[in-house]
Order: sequence, then C-alpha cells, then structure tokens
Amino acid sequence: MTFLRAPRRTGLIFFPAYDWAISPNHPEREERLLYTQDQVLEEGLLDVEGIVEYKVRPAAHTDIQRTHFCVPDEAAVTTESHLIAAGGCIVAGDAVMKGEVANAFALVRPPGHHAMRVVHGNRGFCNINIEAIMIEYLRETYGIRRVAIVDTDCHHGDGTQNIYWHDPDTLFISLHQDGRTLYPGSGFPEEAGGPNARGATLNIPLPPRTGEAGFLFVLDELVLPMLAKFKPELIVNSAGQDNHFNDPITDMNFTAQGYATLTARLKPHIAVLEGGYAVENALPYMNVGIIMAMAGLDFATVKEPNYDRDYQPQPANITRSIEKLVRGLKATFVEGNFPRDEFKEGETYGFSRNIFYDTDGIFEKQREQIRCCRDCAGALAIESTSSLGEHILAVHIPLYACPVCQQTARDWFARAPRREFTHLYLQDRPNKSYERL
Amino acid sequence: MILGLDVGGTHTDAVLIEADRLLCATKTVTQPDLLATLRSALDGTLAEVAPDAIERLVFSTTMATNAIVQDELEDTGMIVAAGPGMDPGWFAVGPAYHVVPGCLDHQGFETLPLDHQAVLAAGRAIRAQGIDVLGVVGKFSVRNPAHEQQIVEWLEGQFGHVALGHQASGKLDFPRRICTTYLNAALSGIHRRFTEALTRILDEKGIKAPRYVLKPDGGTTRLDASLPFPAQTAQSGPAASVMGALAMDGCPGTTLVLDVGGTTTDMAVVLDGVPLLERTGIQLGRFGTLIRSLLTKSVGIGGDSEVHLDEAGRILIGPRRRGRPAALGGPAPTPTDAMILLGRLTVGDALGAASALAAIGGRHGWNPAVTGEQVLEATAQGIAAAAREFIAEINARPVYTIHEVLENQRIVPTSAVLIGGPVSHLAPYLEKALGLPCRVPPHHGVVNAVGAAVARVTAEITLQADTERGTVVIPEANLNQSVDAGFDLAQAIALGREVITRMATDLGAASEDLEISTVEAQSFNMIRGYSRRGRNIRLRMCLAPGLIPAWKRGV
Repeated sequence: MTFLRAPRRTGLIFFPAYDWAISPNHPEREERLLYTQDQVLEEGLLDVEGIVEYKVRPAAHTDIQRTHFCVPDEAAVTTESHLIAAGGCIVAGDAVMKGEVANAFALVRPPGHHAMRVVHGNRGFCNINIEAIMIEYLRETYGIRRVAIVDTDCHHGDGTQNIYWHDPDTLFISLHQDGRTLYPGSGFPEEAGGPNARGATLNIPLPPRTGEAGFLFVLDELVLPMLAKFKPELIVNSAGQDNHFNDPITDMNFTAQGYATLTARLKPHIAVLEGGYAVENALPYMNVGIIMAMAGLDFATVKEPNYDRDYQPQPANITRSIEKLVRGLKATFVEGNFPRDEFKEGETYGFSRNIFYDTDGIFEKQREQIRCCRDCAGALAIESTSSLGEHILAVHIPLYACPVCQQTARDWFARAPRREFTHLYLQDRPNKSYERL
Repeated sequence: MILGLDVGGTHTDAVLIEADRLLCATKTVTQPDLLATLRSALDGTLAEVAPDAIERLVFSTTMATNAIVQDELEDTGMIVAAGPGMDPGWFAVGPAYHVVPGCLDHQGFETLPLDHQAVLAAGRAIRAQGIDVLGVVGKFSVRNPAHEQQIVEWLEGQFGHVALGHQASGKLDFPRRICTTYLNAALSGIHRRFTEALTRILDEKGIKAPRYVLKPDGGTTRLDASLPFPAQTAQSGPAASVMGALAMDGCPGTTLVLDVGGTTTDMAVVLDGVPLLERTGIQLGRFGTLIRSLLTKSVGIGGDSEVHLDEAGRILIGPRRRGRPAALGGPAPTPTDAMILLGRLTVGDALGAASALAAIGGRHGWNPAVTGEQVLEATAQGIAAAAREFIAEINARPVYTIHEVLENQRIVPTSAVLIGGPVSHLAPYLEKALGLPCRVPPHHGVVNAVGAAVARVTAEITLQADTERGTVVIPEANLNQSVDAGFDLAQAIALGREVITRMATDLGAASEDLEISTVEAQSFNMIRGYSRRGRNIRLRMCLAPGLIPAWKRGV
C-alpha cells in the first residue's frame, strides 16, 4: 500500500478545544469533537496525500473589530476558545487564498452563526461570528469582494444574516428547519436583505423531517442557480451538522451521505463547522464524509452504522411542499429582481428590533438607521440598549463605502450626544480603524 | 560489560562498554550475508575480551529493512473487518487480501456482527494459495479486540503464524494498522530464522548475556520479545545515531542532531535529553506504519553528494550522489573533494579532487582554495536550510487544547551536535550557517554502536476506558477488562503504571530503567441528552527513549 492521494488539496483545521465547555452538561462541551477526531484518525484521513492539517492560532481583537461591536469590549464577551475558533477560520482562509490548498475545512468550536454585528453576550451557543470575521479579514487582506455564504446548519443563521443584511456584495443563503418549529424562530423568505441589498439574503425554511432528497433538491434547483447568478469569488459553507437524523435537538432527517453529496456539489472554498450535537453517532461520519468530499475522494462507502435501520426517506407530502417552496423562491430570487422603489436613494431609514440572548439571558433593544445608497452598502448606525445596562451607539462605515456614505457616517458619529451613551463606536472599514469612546 | 553492534550499509561497528567507558571499538566490512557480518564482528570483539565478561548484548540490524526494501517479504494473507468509512479495498496489501463483513464503532460497540462464513471462506482461500502466515485487522480493534480475536479463534490451527492488529500499537489509524500487521506477519519467518541463527552463533561463541535489539524509537527490546513484532526491528539506524549523540554529548537544552553521511544528512531534535518522536509511526519502504519512531528527517546532502552549478552559477550540493568522490575515482566533484583540495583530508588523489572542482571554480574565476571554501560553505548552507525547514515543520504541528495554543511551545535549537564521517572539517561552516554552537563528540565513527549499546528499553501503552460500555482496554498489553461506573482517571493512571511496569519488565527493562512518563491523560464526561452517561478516559504512558543509568556522559 502506498498512501492514498486526494484529487484536490484540502486543508483541515481541527480544533476540538478539549478543555472548554459552556457548562459541563451543555451540548457545546469538551466531548463534542472527540469521536470525530477518533474517526478521522482511524480512517487514516490525515495520511492521505493532499489532506494537509494546519495548526490554529488565536484571532486578535482587531480581527473581531472588522465585524463586530462587542459591548463593552472584546475581552468581556469572548473566551480564548472563541478567539481560537475564529483564528482557525482565518488559518483556513489564508491557506485557500494563498493557493496552498484548493479548499479548507475549519472543524472548530464553539460555533458563531448566531452572533450578530452587535454582541452583548452568547446567543445560540455563539459569541462571535467566526465566518464573518474570516470573510472580513480575507476582504481586507486579499482584496476579494463578492462572497457567498451558504448556511446548512439546521438553525437559521440569524447572526450572519444580520451582519450582511445591508451588504450587496455578500450573498447569504440559509437552509434550515422552519423557524416556526425551532430556535431562533426566524429565517422566512420575506427576510430578503436591507434597502441596499434586497435579494442578497435568501432564506429557505424547510419542513421538519426533510431528508436527503429534499436538501439535494433545494441545492440543485435553487442554491446552485442562485450562486451561478451571483458569481461569487469565494463560497463559504457554514457546515452545521444538526440536520442529521440522529441529532438530539432538531427534527430533520439528513445523513452523512447527504452532507457529503451536498459538499461535493456545492464545492465550497471554505467550510466551517457550526452546530451538530449527535456527537457520537452522526458527527464522526458526517465529518469524514465532508472531508472526503472536499478532497475529491469517493465517499460512497461512508454511512452511519444505524443508517439502514433508522433512516427514513422523506415522505411524499414533504417532497411536494419543498418543491412548491423552491418554485416560488426561484421565481423571485433567481429569475426575478427585487424592486428598490419603496426606498429612496439618499434617504435614511430606521428599523427597530428586540433580540434575546438565550444562553446568557440578555434582552437587547436595537434601533438602526441605514442610508439608502445605490453605490455601496450604505452608512449604518445602530443604537443598542441591553438589560445589562449598556446603551451604545455603533456606527459602521462599510469597506467599499461611497464617499457620501463615508461622510454621512462620520457626521453621525461626530454629532452623537456622547453623554447619552455608555459607549460610542466607529467601525471605519475603508480606513481600517476602530474607535471606541 | 556491554557489547553494542551496529550493522551499517558499508561498515559494521562493534563497541565494548564498561560502566561509563568505551573500552574498544572495531570496524568490519558489512557483507551481503548479515549473519556472516555479525560473526566476523563478534570475532573481532572476542579477540579483546572473554565471552563470559559480556553482560548485555545490543545490536541494531538491517535484516527487516533489507527484506522490505528488496521485496523479500513472505506471502501473507490478510483478513480485514472494516465497516463503513474509507473503502478498505484502497488499503489492500499482499497477495491475498480479504475484507469480511463486521464492524465496531469508535467506542468499541459492535455495529455489525462478524460474518462467520465469510471469515471461514477467506481462510480457505488464503490456505488454497499455499499461504501459511496471516494478518488480522479490524477497524477500531484497539477499542475492542473482540473481532480480531474471534477471527483467530475461528481459524484456529490453520496458519503457522498469525499477527493481530491491536497488539502492534494502541494508536488509531486503520490503514497504518493494516500495513504494520502485514509487515509483522510477512517478516515473522525471516526474523525467526535470523534470531535462531544468531542465537546459535552466540551460543557457539559462548556469549550467554541477555540479547537486545534496537528499535526505531531509540529504545531496545529483548530479542525473544521482538519475535511477534519483527517490523519493530527495521530501520533503527537513525535511532542508533541519535542515541549515540545523546550518549556521547548529553544533548543539553534543545539540541539539533545532524548525522552527516555519504549520501544524506539525517536530522533529529533532542529536548532536554529526550529525543522527539514521530506522531504516528515510521515509514518502512512503501509502508506507513504505527511503529513508534524518533522524529528524523533526511536531506540529500552528504560528503559524497554531487557538487554542481545552477543556471545562475550558484553552487548546489546533491541531492544526487553519482559515486565516490572524484579523489577516489568517482565521476563528479563532492564536498569530500573540497576537504581534500583544502588539505584537510589526506585520502585519495588530491589532483583528481582539484581537477573535478576546477569546473566549479572556473565559472567564477576562483582559485582552488576559494573554490574549496565555497563548496564547504554551500554544503553547510544547504544542510542549515533543511534544518530550518525541519524545525518549522515541527513547530507547525497542530495542537488541540486552548492551553497548548496559548502556551505555543516552540522548538528553538540552542546548539547542534554533529556526527558521522568528516564532520569535524565541516563544523566551522555549519556553526556559521546554522548560527548555533556546534559540538563534535569523540569517537564519532562508532557513535551508532555506542547508542545501541546504552539505549534502555522503551514501551508504550494506550489506555481507553469507557464507563458507559463498562470496559478498559490496553491493546498493547492484551488487556480488555470490565470496569464499574466509578472508574476514574486516577484509577486509570494506577492501572496504567502497573501494566507498563509489567510490560517493560517482560521486554527486558531493569528496575532502574522504569522512568514512566504520562504523555496524555484526559477524562471526558459523556453526555447523552442532557445527563451524564459515563466517562471516557484516554491515557498514554511510555518509557521514553533514554540511556541506561550506568552510562554517564563524558567518554
């Protein structure tokens, strides 16, 4: 036997954080990736020529400041493990952008896709958005602009949606269990992006018990055509694995074969682990399948030990309802265009929302204002009040902001009544600066 | 007195050691017949000392290495139980490789029973090919050896020799387990015959001392204990040189060991007296194995490497070796010729060296002395660049805990030890190129034999306890017993110490050699739903490579 050679060079960033848990019995605990590592090692995947394992390094607070407003600051809302998970994604991104590998899989924890632009604490097991931190690092470092994020976690990626809501250069697609039946309760097709980025957010809520056929149908009929239309320079997969039929906290019906097939067809440049809590009977097989798919190896022989006994193909009524959903979304998002008429160029619009941090029990009230702009993502200001007593104003100047929006945002920041706020923040992406008062 | 024997490609060295002194060293030419070589090396030594004065005999052999490289492996049948995952057909090895249904998961739970009829049929098919040795390997057999043991039981009496996957190593890596088991089976006859012949020779010479053989991890094992694991005796040469450097130099701080040979330079790192180990196992020919090994890397630059110029006129050394140095009648200039040209070595034909190197210097209009200097500088720079790359690779090894990421332990060599051939003439150049103080230990011509002679016994165990399944398994020690729900890390460590002590004693360790290190000790709560269902304990302990206490440095 000589070592197997992978058709594609694939980077693997494995960080199981064996010394970190949210709490001892929490799904997000030390044991989570233990059996995945066992399976990956036992299969000999690290011996495959072309599968390259990278060492992680912690992200810096300045890496977080490209994406988030951490209240009161980064140190208060992150632990080392969050920084290393984000850093692991950056290592993956560097490996791909430098051309060392064709693609990379960041098998890191804790996850990040529920973390929004403003962070007061932990929601949905997430503090900071590790994909967004990576993407903004890559944009600044390598000058890429158009990025697509396909979130295949079972839960709606509401944090990622929030961060890219106004950004026309980022296509965010989320496939998830219908928000009426699962945390965080959002992710409906009507949520399609802000005034400057209508149609760059695509939510695909799937009925409980959606199986292999349903996921792959959505991929082939909607996700791939949408990507073809958007023409991203980089595809990122938020590869949550809790759609699995063995997962204890969701009701979906997906499989290791299905995940591997999806990965092989989606061809993400970078995949990042998100959720997935069937630690002993789903994650080991799914992760092996995803790694093999990314490396271009034949994964036909990968399946869960209880697949033949427990996997039920999805019922016909679910197939029909998914087909109907996809037809409607395809007509609007792929074939149609979103009218911008309701918003006037140069005007500023305000939106309000309440956000609950389930893990940390924090209530947040937000009011944001966005300048409607045809040329960029628009000047953005967020006023946020939390049940911890914080009252902040956060001003964001997008990386590719037009001169008018840049000036508008700087004016908002300069004229803000400082005494009214516990903190003021200016995230000035074009000037690579972050100010906190 | 200890007798150390190192069989090298060209020479076989024998050393006699009394406590911490090297009494004598003899060199004989290595012949194609290994036993004849050992016999003449022993004769050379016995001219100096009475056979009953020898209390311990250690040798490093090339028998297994040669059999692998020359493809003289015995025909071996393989029966493999894999289950889902990577296609087991990709790892086929040998002339009779059979995959049978049967599967265990990562916890060792059976997820598919072993197929009795398929095992019997595989056994019959292998026997029908006239094959008498068998390797048996299961995926995750190190978590539960039941399937491997079941296969052996079902085929009882049908094969002359059977090698089992879980006994060779407790590490996870199914493809490497297959290769390791295959080699242990396919080398078993060769190794047994060699051992028997060697025993006859030693008996005939009156040497009754316990016999040890060196392994690639820089440790020794009793010759008879090596019989089930003959692949462990392959490729111990680099380990002998590292242990020799340790014996002769002491290797304080972080030491880079460079063994400069004719064709290559072997590199290793010793950290506070303990050599660094490979993460998985040694590569033997085309086989990746799970056999524990020192971390070494070879670069194609040696004393006999070809010296040539690139298009820009820069001097390049190696990686090709076209033959002997020009001064000794070879076809191309070599670093050795540069030493001869500079008058530092007085062998061979200095004019031959000069004329071969003239082509190199001529391009730049250098006189012979400058040319010689430039060649030696380029040699040192080539080795130094390879060493820096080697160190960078070590520092890029992934870690899996926050603690380790934050600690960010980096290997930064503080000095280098040079051994092999004419290193004393290269030392000043290497010192400059590496930016490190370089030491050349005494007796560097027989350093490997000394390393073999004074290396102590090594052993490793991998303990995995799963209180949900109610078992503790130590595959290397054939231990598989039940535990109750209260079994914890402290009990695991106590059991581990007991088992490794017994194992090391069986392998020939003296009580003063039993320095046990705990390499890994982790205990995970196993949560199912939201409640704790058990504890998953992982423990690795070893006797790290080191020197027998009787030996003190400073020969």
